[in-house]
Amino acid sequence: MTVVVGYVPNPEGEAAVTHAVREARARRTKLVLVNTSRGDALVDPRYAFEDQLAAIERRLVEEGVEHTSVHAITGTEPALAILEVADTHGAELIVLGVRRRSPVGKLIMGSTAQRVLLEATVPVLAVKAPRQ
Amino acid sequence: MDVWASLLEGFANAATPENLLYALVGVILGTAVGVLPGLGPAMTVALLLPVTYALEPTSAFIMFAGIYYGGMYGGSTTSILLNTPGESSSVVTAIEGNKMAKSGRASQALATAAIGSFVAGTIGSILLVLCAPIVVEFAISLGSPSYFAIMVLALIAVTAVLGSSRVRGFSALGLGLAVGLVGMDPVSGQSRLTFGEPLLADGLDVVVVAVAIFAVGEALWVAAHLRRTAAHVIPVGRPWMGREDWGRSWKPWLRGTAYGFPFGALPAGGAEIPTFLSYVTEKRLSKKPEEFGHGAIEGVAGPEAANNASAAGTLVPMLSLGLPTNATAAVMLAALVQYGIQPGPLLFDREPQLVWALIASLFIGNTLLLLINLPLAPAWAKLLQIPRPYLYAGILFFATLGAYSVNLQSFDLAVLLVLGALGFAMRRYGLPVLPLVIGLILGPRIEQQLRKSLQLSSGEWSGLWSEPVAIGVYVVIGLILAWPLLARLLRRSRAVPVTASDDTPTEAEQELVDRRNR
Amino acid sequence: MTSLAHRLTGRSELGLAALLGAAGLVVLWDALGLEAPYSQSDTVGPRTLPYAVAALLLVCAVWLTLDVVRGGRGEAEGGEDVDLTHPTEWRVVLPLAAVFLGNVLLIDRLGWVISGAFLFWGSAWALGSRSYLRDAIVSVVLSLLTFYGFYVGLGIYLPAGLLEGAL
Repeated sequence: MTVVVGYVPNPEGEAAVTHAVREARARRTKLVLVNTSRGDALVDPRYAFEDQLAAIERRLVEEGVEHTSVHAITGTEPALAILEVADTHGAELIVLGVRRRSPVGKLIMGSTAQRVLLEATVPVLAVKAPRQ
Repeated sequence: MDVWASLLEGFANAATPENLLYALVGVILGTAVGVLPGLGPAMTVALLLPVTYALEPTSAFIMFAGIYYGGMYGGSTTSILLNTPGESSSVVTAIEGNKMAKSGRASQALATAAIGSFVAGTIGSILLVLCAPIVVEFAISLGSPSYFAIMVLALIAVTAVLGSSRVRGFSALGLGLAVGLVGMDPVSGQSRLTFGEPLLADGLDVVVVAVAIFAVGEALWVAAHLRRTAAHVIPVGRPWMGREDWGRSWKPWLRGTAYGFPFGALPAGGAEIPTFLSYVTEKRLSKKPEEFGHGAIEGVAGPEAANNASAAGTLVPMLSLGLPTNATAAVMLAALVQYGIQPGPLLFDREPQLVWALIASLFIGNTLLLLINLPLAPAWAKLLQIPRPYLYAGILFFATLGAYSVNLQSFDLAVLLVLGALGFAMRRYGLPVLPLVIGLILGPRIEQQLRKSLQLSSGEWSGLWSEPVAIGVYVVIGLILAWPLLARLLRRSRAVPVTASDDTPTEAEQELVDRRNR
Repeated sequence: MTSLAHRLTGRSELGLAALLGAAGLVVLWDALGLEAPYSQSDTVGPRTLPYAVAALLLVCAVWLTLDVVRGGRGEAEGGEDVDLTHPTEWRVVLPLAAVFLGNVLLIDRLGWVISGAFLFWGSAWALGSRSYLRDAIVSVVLSLLTFYGFYVGLGIYLPAGLLEGAL
């Protein structure tokens, strides 16, 4: 049983990791960090770079949490990747960062969080970035 | 002086609000296209060819020139700002520019690229103004036999010198010439290669062929090898340069221009050799050679200038002789033919308004590029987030739209698909596209010159080498064709060991050839 | 690449050589069918260039065959956005070509707005986009914009097809 967290290199993602760490500690389980991209566009700011991922992993090591990462260009939507990882790694909880989006925005840009929320078979924890 | 008077008149034409708008549109389109991967100025001009039916030729060409220059600028923005995981970019500007960006000097890299492009473009345009009339004078004095010989030289040079495989170059040329044959022979009135199909009687529209080969073929090819990447754009503020940067950049700008212009003007020059030469020169002349490979500003300034100067250089043979030296020039010539304007030395005589307005708009376009893009560079990078399916679906969409609007018949679309498949096959088997397009465009004109030459000599084939220029050109052609044999003989008799020097990034060369050869 | 794949690649390039040869023969055959009456003003005649082109194509066909047999390979064109580490993904190209062909057949009957939107949506789908609704919206917007744009800006009437009355 693990806690799966969808990570994106932005404040929402960092907040998600914070909460995921808390949950993993409380449940005494492993953390699985997921960061993928469809690879459709030349540039994808939501895909973490090696150094960004290394920074996050260092943080997890400092917090003393056992963890693995799934970091790849999968050619599928990140939502699907998260759900798949949750399946294969036996997740008991999924943690995601969310951002406020208008209905039109969701229609045009899609919403990873919404898709995961609707299709997950385990509880989903939606986290907002702390107000600055 | 006559030339300057014409140029001033050209400015008057180019600076009308309407034409300024077209210049602006061209520059913006060109930059956008240059930023995006997989597209290029040649393809963009090809896609816009059908639109030119409705525009004034002057306005259309002003727009095309803007696209041409803008494309160069956009390309350097991407190579500087793109942070690709693991991959080391081997395009010359990207080598140093990217390293500069990664160490926080993206603003300086962008600034030196932009200003260098402006300087080179302006100087190049001035050189164009000075050289073109001279070439035209010389060309007008040529008779048909010499002109014929020069056209054959242009064909052979592009086919035999560029690219690594001559057989494939000549094959592409053959196919291009064959496609150019389709239709009615202008002198005897007989139909060639139409197989009784009335829709082919007018020949294959150059526009349709260009769009098919450049846009559809490219889109199909990329579709077959879709890349999946997720890079980042290095965040950058407004481009600017400090005093020291200026001091280190201005000489590379001038040297780069000196390299770029002549190579652009030669039939087989291109832009890759001068940028490469500029890089190597700057490295050797630099007071801090150890910086190269880690972000030396000279390594961005020189090659960028060389690039833009070569674009200006390409316009010399294009406007004064009607000979294209790269893909974009070839497509622009196709546009001229579309308007019923005959390219060649008489262009300056017959359409002075068009030519001089075009040249004047080069200065305007360069200035616009600098003013607009310098502050907007970070915004352009946002374009890179467009997903590829949309990009390439868009190319096919606009290609279809354009080709269809030419004659409003779906037969043209069938031609588009068939030739697009040919373009795909050519990219798959390494047949260079440029000889095909040049063969297509020059073929009919070569036939015309051949006929004229023989007419003048009353049917005597020896008339072909009756002029000294013609003889000289044939000698050059012979040398080019015989070069591989000669080289082999020389090598055997001298047995010189080949030394590999370590500042020769040969991968960079190949990458440059691939990138610029569109 | 395994040696089998290597040999097969070579063989498909021979297909290209065959194509060149066929093209040369076609040009030659067509040229032979032309009449070239002797003319004072045009000694070149309509057949000369076709003969030359046919000769070039046939020579290239033979030359290419020799080159391939001796081991030469045409280098597939790389590019800024091309990933050559995998072989051609036919399951992308063929649907794409099919969509394109579909548009060619349908454009006159269904009109540009429908057929163009189909072209864009279908191409995006073939290229891997799975956001169906968003793609559909973009397709329709594009085809409507270009339809009106070409009419207003360039005076070109794209076919309205089925939507004849509505637009």
